[in-house]
Amino acid sequence: MESLGINYRAIGPELVLTVTGVLVMLLEAFSPGKKVRDGILAAAGIVLAGVAALALWEEGPVTAFSRMVIVDGFRVFFTLVILLGTLLTIFVSWGFLDEERIPPGEYFALLLFGAVGMTLLVAGNDLMILFLALETITIATYVLAGYRREDLRSTESALKYFLLGAFSSAFLLYGIALLYGATRTTNLAEMARVVSGPLGQAEIVLLMAGAAMLLIGFGFKVTTVPFHVWTPDVYEGAPTPVTAFLSTAPKAAGFAAFLRVFSLTFPPLGIESAADQLASHWVAAVTAMSILSMTFGNFIAIAQTNIKRMLAYSSIAHAGYVLIGVLARDWAAVAFYMLVYTIMNLGCFAIVALWARRGDERVLIAEYAGLGFRQPLLSFPLAIFLVSLAGFPGTAGFVAKFWLFKSAWGAGFPELVIIGVLMTVVSVYYYLYVVIVMFFREPKEEVPRVPLSRAFVAAMVVALVGVFYLGLLPTRVFAVLNTAQNLLAIGQR
Amino acid sequence: MLMKAPMMLFLQTDPIYGYLPIVVLLFLAALFPALVLGIGRLLRPMKPEAPKLSPYECGVDPILDARERFSVRYYIIAMLFLIFDVETVFLFPWAVIYDKLALFGLIEMAIFLGLLIVGYYYAWRKGALEWT
Repeated sequence: MESLGINYRAIGPELVLTVTGVLVMLLEAFSPGKKVRDGILAAAGIVLAGVAALALWEEGPVTAFSRMVIVDGFRVFFTLVILLGTLLTIFVSWGFLDEERIPPGEYFALLLFGAVGMTLLVAGNDLMILFLALETITIATYVLAGYRREDLRSTESALKYFLLGAFSSAFLLYGIALLYGATRTTNLAEMARVVSGPLGQAEIVLLMAGAAMLLIGFGFKVTTVPFHVWTPDVYEGAPTPVTAFLSTAPKAAGFAAFLRVFSLTFPPLGIESAADQLASHWVAAVTAMSILSMTFGNFIAIAQTNIKRMLAYSSIAHAGYVLIGVLARDWAAVAFYMLVYTIMNLGCFAIVALWARRGDERVLIAEYAGLGFRQPLLSFPLAIFLVSLAGFPGTAGFVAKFWLFKSAWGAGFPELVIIGVLMTVVSVYYYLYVVIVMFFREPKEEVPRVPLSRAFVAAMVVALVGVFYLGLLPTRVFAVLNTAQNLLAIGQR
Repeated sequence: MLMKAPMMLFLQTDPIYGYLPIVVLLFLAALFPALVLGIGRLLRPMKPEAPKLSPYECGVDPILDARERFSVRYYIIAMLFLIFDVETVFLFPWAVIYDKLALFGLIEMAIFLGLLIVGYYYAWRKGALEWT
């Protein structure tokens, strides 16, 4: 079976996650309700998958399974980001599962199956694999969004997510079909080769239409304006730990696929070619999406009174920043940004989830009044994560934005950098507003302290260490990413 | 003949015109039912009466609207049926080239069936088959 390129090592992380997911699901069927056992098993599976991913680090750019799966630094790094996001989500969900009396086994299994889809999306070197992986992600996350069955908001969130997700999947699939019509292949490497030469008039039209459809589909998945409308409603209605998950890991995976298809397969080559014709259009479209996401996301976030909605608009704004990196075609900068964003956003949501209590009752920003000095173990980390999201120097958020803007400036997008910096200033307003409410407003009535679980403390420690390590000593991670980027560039040549 | 030659050349140079038959088929597919129904409408005698216009001319009179709420169990049963359906779809091609795939194919199929059985067993344990 050598001819099929079957190489189980190349899908090691996915295999480990799948097996763990099935095991957790079966254990839930055998003896339900054992949260600690299922949670530890799921976390162990994720760690093991991380080890399997790290083992691929030295492999360099190679493909497997009839060139459908690719192994390179890009894939390994994004896989690690996704696994970190999933692991932190398990920690964040720990208290929530008890409060809501949710069967834990299924919840963990769905998280793992979602993670399988995400890691596969990152590893995909073929549009069919990308589509399959996206469907795996979305089916798991639809169920997670509606996990509080009796809650009307949660059900609404799941339904909206499902309808718009299915709608955007249709766009993606149609786009894939048109691209296949234009290039007669779904393999991305092969497609890159075909579009590096000239194509017939009809093929160019198909190529443009297909790429536009893909852009719409990906735009939905990574929540960029004007395809963002579902985001605040879904993020608000879904249980908070699930929102934390939705806003980080699937987004990192979505951006990885976005990069793989647009930045690496259809790059502007600077020579007479189909790719160049296409690139002039997609660069313009993505520029518009980026500017719109940054401005709309940040300005609408100011008007929010619900912290989950505020963070949803903030995530739209951050998607706008990341699109600058997609335009600059600097995947390492995007990967670093997604790592940082995953850490700080999950940290934020961990506290929001804890403070919201059973049934997501306490989610208004005004209800954070007086949290500051009454429970400093909640308020100080939240302040740090918000400040990091705003991009203050000393935190990881600053370094990530700096790298992104620097590479965009070098790649010839100064106007985007200027807008990005201005919008960052706007975002400071609504991030710091929460901090002000926490520390300088008195609550209307005295609120009892919230007990902290060990899993929550673990999540806090990981996230805080991450924010400061990447904010103060990012050089090691930079070096690792730059090496991977150089290897990939050589492999493509 | 003179008109035809450039046309044929055109068809050959751009492979996209290979899809032309599909467009033709699309039109034919739309045309055919319209034609058949239209001709039938013009030719047939029209004598409507009450029993003829009821949904089931020969049979029990309908008592309720069909748009009712069904128990969710029907859907679960349908989905469980899908497990076996998909299984068969993949078992047939495997069986046809069983000798070529040899041990590798056997193991792959065992994994595939194993995953389906896990799903089925899970649903069973969770009480999807109990109709109460």
